[in-house]
Amino acid sequence: MSTSDRIQHAGAWLRERFPLEKLTFESLFQKKEVPVHHMSWGYYFGGLALFFFSIQLVTGLLLLFYYQPTVADAHASVELITLHVGGGALIRNLHTWSSSAMIFCVFAHLITAFAMKAFEKPREITWVSGVLLLLVTFGFGFTGYLLPWHQIAVNATKVGLQSIEEAGAYLPGALAGIPRQLKELIQGEAAVGQATLSRFYALHVVLLPLAIFAILGQHLFMVQIHGMSQGVEKPTGKSEKFFPIFALKDFSIWGMIFFVLFVVALCLPFEAFFSYPLFEPFDPQGSTPDGIKPEWYFFFVYYPLELLPFWLVMLLSTLAVGALLAVPWIFQGASRKTLRNMAFAATVYLVAMTVFGQQIYEFFKGAQP
Amino acid sequence: MLEQFLFIGLPYIAFAIMVVVSIYRYRVQRFTYTALGSQFLEGNQLRWGSLAWHAGILVILIGHLIPVIAPGLWKALASVPAFLITVELMGIIAAFLSLTGLVVLFCRRVASARVSAVTSTADLLLLLLLIAQVLVGISVASGARWGAAWSASTTTPYLWSLATLHPQTEYITGLPPTVRLHLVLAWCIFLIVPFTRLVHVFSVPVAYLWRPPQKVVWTTRLPQPMGAHTMQLAQDTRRYFLRGALGTAGAAFLLSVGALDRLGRFFRGPAMDQAHQAELLQKKLQRLELAAAERALEIERIEKQYIFVAQLSELSDKDGKYFTDYHMRPALAFKDASGLPLLISAKCTHLGCTVASTMVGGRILCPCHVSWFDVKTGKPAPGAPAKVPLPHIGWVLMDAQGNLVASQGATGERAGEIDMAQAGNLGVYIAKQFEETA
Amino acid sequence: MTLRIVLLIAVCLLTPGVSLAYPEFQVFIEAQSGRNVNCAMCHAHPDGPEGLKPGQIGSLDPQQLEALSTARAAFEPGQEVHSPILNAFGNHIIHKLGKQQFLLHRQEPQKLAPALGLEDDLDKDGIPNAQELLDGTLPTDPNHGDPWKLFYINLKRRWFHILMVGLATVSGLWGLNNLLHGFERMSASKTRTE
Repeated sequence: MSTSDRIQHAGAWLRERFPLEKLTFESLFQKKEVPVHHMSWGYYFGGLALFFFSIQLVTGLLLLFYYQPTVADAHASVELITLHVGGGALIRNLHTWSSSAMIFCVFAHLITAFAMKAFEKPREITWVSGVLLLLVTFGFGFTGYLLPWHQIAVNATKVGLQSIEEAGAYLPGALAGIPRQLKELIQGEAAVGQATLSRFYALHVVLLPLAIFAILGQHLFMVQIHGMSQGVEKPTGKSEKFFPIFALKDFSIWGMIFFVLFVVALCLPFEAFFSYPLFEPFDPQGSTPDGIKPEWYFFFVYYPLELLPFWLVMLLSTLAVGALLAVPWIFQGASRKTLRNMAFAATVYLVAMTVFGQQIYEFFKGAQP
Repeated sequence: MLEQFLFIGLPYIAFAIMVVVSIYRYRVQRFTYTALGSQFLEGNQLRWGSLAWHAGILVILIGHLIPVIAPGLWKALASVPAFLITVELMGIIAAFLSLTGLVVLFCRRVASARVSAVTSTADLLLLLLLIAQVLVGISVASGARWGAAWSASTTTPYLWSLATLHPQTEYITGLPPTVRLHLVLAWCIFLIVPFTRLVHVFSVPVAYLWRPPQKVVWTTRLPQPMGAHTMQLAQDTRRYFLRGALGTAGAAFLLSVGALDRLGRFFRGPAMDQAHQAELLQKKLQRLELAAAERALEIERIEKQYIFVAQLSELSDKDGKYFTDYHMRPALAFKDASGLPLLISAKCTHLGCTVASTMVGGRILCPCHVSWFDVKTGKPAPGAPAKVPLPHIGWVLMDAQGNLVASQGATGERAGEIDMAQAGNLGVYIAKQFEETA
Repeated sequence: MTLRIVLLIAVCLLTPGVSLAYPEFQVFIEAQSGRNVNCAMCHAHPDGPEGLKPGQIGSLDPQQLEALSTARAAFEPGQEVHSPILNAFGNHIIHKLGKQQFLLHRQEPQKLAPALGLEDDLDKDGIPNAQELLDGTLPTDPNHGDPWKLFYINLKRRWFHILMVGLATVSGLWGLNNLLHGFERMSASKTRTE
């Protein structure tokens, strides 16, 4: 193959993924259709994730009015928002509940998209950007958890960062120090402190939003340009217009979900589920409270981490991320039935670890104190 | 006597005349049951004036009717400050809107020659009366504020007493004159309604929103501009859009009542009494002091070769003393069996929690995931989540004059001799030299 | 479960701060509620009264020490106590029961809640102090309480906002539904005329 052949080949590949000729009012708005079949409900999760993201954006901007990202003031400012600012508890509750809901929707979107084989040619890049969005969302969760700077938050962050350092034990010779350096790069100093808080704040409030805007923009653009995937093996032949029918249905669901979210955020402080609400500001020399756990959406890696050898979990999660990114090429020839079964198995695993993680942990580890 | 006439006689007379004349007019002059549109004579001012007037007065009428029809519900709603503020605000806005509309309509009646030609004295009187009524209403709203709340126990029972034919004016005797004037004007307007074009209020096409689609059938054989079916579709479509706009506008309004008052308070900032304010500042001060202390520790660790931990005599073989090592990590100081210092990191090697300071059977416990560590060797107990031993920390003993007496590195290499009889006076230090080699 | 309690007792006895507070109550509350509880329920510092941190005995100035000794001598109920090592709930217990009766309850921690009664609610979240004690939630934090009790109470308290937003949702959905039909009709009429 000559160089020009290769360039031509690459050009054709790109043209297929970015069909710019479809960038017309007619194909984007007037002619766009959404297939109707027994898996159609799966099409709504992406939109819901977007909805929750916009709630995060608005409530996050509001929280910025009062939050102070310094070691001395962070905790007090969060306390001020929760107890003294009118509507502050509602805004903070909305932000937290909606973050959980967003992560749930992102998961559901990933699993349904997988089961519907929505990554099939020409949508490979959409899938890859979706996986990146998942990682960015986790980044949001991890960095945001630290910001209130209470004992639980900081200790949970320490635990999370420590697992990076522990990878060093499995690397040979000169490489062994790299994970520790990486950890210190992330936290900005030898121990979790003001530098970490500043970095996480910058990440949570500026860098990750910029990243998510860029990736989300690309993701949505690709979704609009390619339209919904067919979703099932044998198309039913039925379909509905994207504009306005599907979009309005989307909005209606958003409306209902907003009501539920509002009621929950107004009446059910998320802190009521924690043993130590807001607790006390982090004190590097204080004792660590009992029963520290990460947020529920990290349980699916947290409990295996507690149960299995560390290297195994690290290896598996690295493989999992790699496999997720390569899904469009690995499962190129798989039938939707296989994919559905795999998606089902993944759902069972995630639900089991998230809901029954503690019981599973106690079942295996309970015998030893 | 005048009181009796204005608030009992007048309303009954007004209602009687209104009912009788309206029915009479409906039966005899049915086709005058209209607003007598003058759109063809002058369109522009009418469009805006009429829109503003109708939009405003509809909101106001609804706001006046609900408290009368459902006083219990209204009382419950009006007890919520957010509701009260929103309702009053909307009322004022609607009042000014309708006033503007009325003034435009009045000017039009007077200024446009073509319109004034079809204008009767009754029309002008009606317009003036309405303007007066809206003005009085605004002055009630601004003078006797929160009418939405107090009306439930004053004017509402008065109106009900009229409706149930047991008129009682006691409910309204104490009210400000503007409120009483508002009531009298209302009766006057009722009185003249049947004689004016205002009679069209009895034929408002509200049913338009939910009546079944009407079928339009052309009886002419001429070529039709649109098919009958298309016409019907267009009409349906318009109705759907109208309802859609109504629904979303209503949603926006209700949402602002339900959620915006909280948001408004969010922007106004914290509402705290002095005790809370002092408490919060106290807390912040404490934290600043803690942060300052930490900064001082950091500087000390950068600048100094030796850092004081404790007097050797202070150390115990049971309760460890926390201190901060050169890496700003927590550590514990004990005394070992031979009376020498035993310094060990208190940062759990599992996940970095702080290890508790009390020694039990030669071991210390990390409470996070229950790892016991042997203090002498630093090794975790078998089966514990932590696999890596807690590192020991090198120490230096100095006398009161700052002379170095003895030292021990992290791995246990000792230098210098200690006279145990003098040991009580010695200070325990950690040294930078041990950190840099480690 | 028993293992957990034994462990907790062990931890309470081992951690110096905790052992000098009243771990009997902590152990009872944890067993009763299944929640993790620390000394911050009644004390100013979550690690208990002993130590050098703010809210612990080692950090008190002479004036605070005097307040502490007054509070410690409040054996009979009804005295105003402002012990610097206790939080509002801790002070409330001493005020309500008196130190003497409180100390008696150490033997039978399950009797503390009934003795406090259901009429007081320090954080005004709608769940009485005594109930929060049994639930293992903080009686001094309005955002902390048994989640479902809090949910129910707040539903009743904030009915107006919920009603308004609920009506807004219904109205908005009705509007959207009509818009949907409108668009449907519009496109139908367009295809017909084409």
